[in-house]
Amino acid sequence: MPRFHFHIVEDGRVITDEEGQELTERDAVRREAVETAASARDAFMRGSASQVIVDVRKGDELFLKVSISLTVEG
Amino acid sequence: MPVVVKHYQPGQAIVRDGDRPAECCLIAKGFCVRSKTTSNGRRQILSIHIPGEIPDLQSLHLNVLDHDLITLTECTLGFISHVFLREITRRRPNVAEIFWRDTLIDAAMFRDWIVNVGQRPAPSRLAHIVVELRERLKVIGQVQGARFEMPLTQEQIGEAMGITPVHANRIVKQLRDDNVLEFHRGSVRVIDEQKLLELADFDGLYLHQRPSL
Repeated sequence: MPRFHFHIVEDGRVITDEEGQELTERDAVRREAVETAASARDAFMRGSASQVIVDVRKGDELFLKVSISLTVEG
Repeated sequence: MPVVVKHYQPGQAIVRDGDRPAECCLIAKGFCVRSKTTSNGRRQILSIHIPGEIPDLQSLHLNVLDHDLITLTECTLGFISHVFLREITRRRPNVAEIFWRDTLIDAAMFRDWIVNVGQRPAPSRLAHIVVELRERLKVIGQVQGARFEMPLTQEQIGEAMGITPVHANRIVKQLRDDNVLEFHRGSVRVIDEQKLLELADFDGLYLHQRPSL
């Protein structure tokens, strides 16, 4: 089973995922990435970042990227 | 009291969702969790259990178990038959009262767990779980100084908090970087007590540790 690493990038600051996870389907990787991006809520609430990217790597190569950003108007 | 002692390996199911147990188990040594898994395979850890507790006492009166009880570490468990427990609670009302009280506190802890998972941001959620576990371990003399056992993997920490393992990893790192807590090989060390308490938003009333109150 391929191993995927989900690195979190908060306003350019990288929090690496050394452990990684073994997943088979593209859908499962996508779901995990989107759910992990929910960590953006903590960063937004704390005010420590306004953009959170989950950078998913299969080995060294980029597999997919999920980006969430906060825009407050008014 | 007739007790059958058995040894379990880590990650072994003691009783499962849908089982009809004929005995309750008393934890003599080790840690267990109760959990429930959704139809698409996501597991929610509902509670952590430590020595001295009977986590499946509810099966004495509710015949079918509605969740799983699983070992986290190697465990020594004492099994007591429902037949014996039913007989002793009928003969000794004070024992029945203690068991009733135990299941009420169990429910109070679940209410607190819901508030924690539903309303607190992830770092506070983890801090709260850590402080609760410490307060309970203190009662059985298993806290020495700033360090105590919390044998959950990052994945299990995520399952307790309702977040993915990667998000849990991120929170664990943040608490260490902010000098609050440090997790290391199944144990946790408190770095800054004041910061931990502020973050945990903890009021231990729901544990009802002092019956005189």
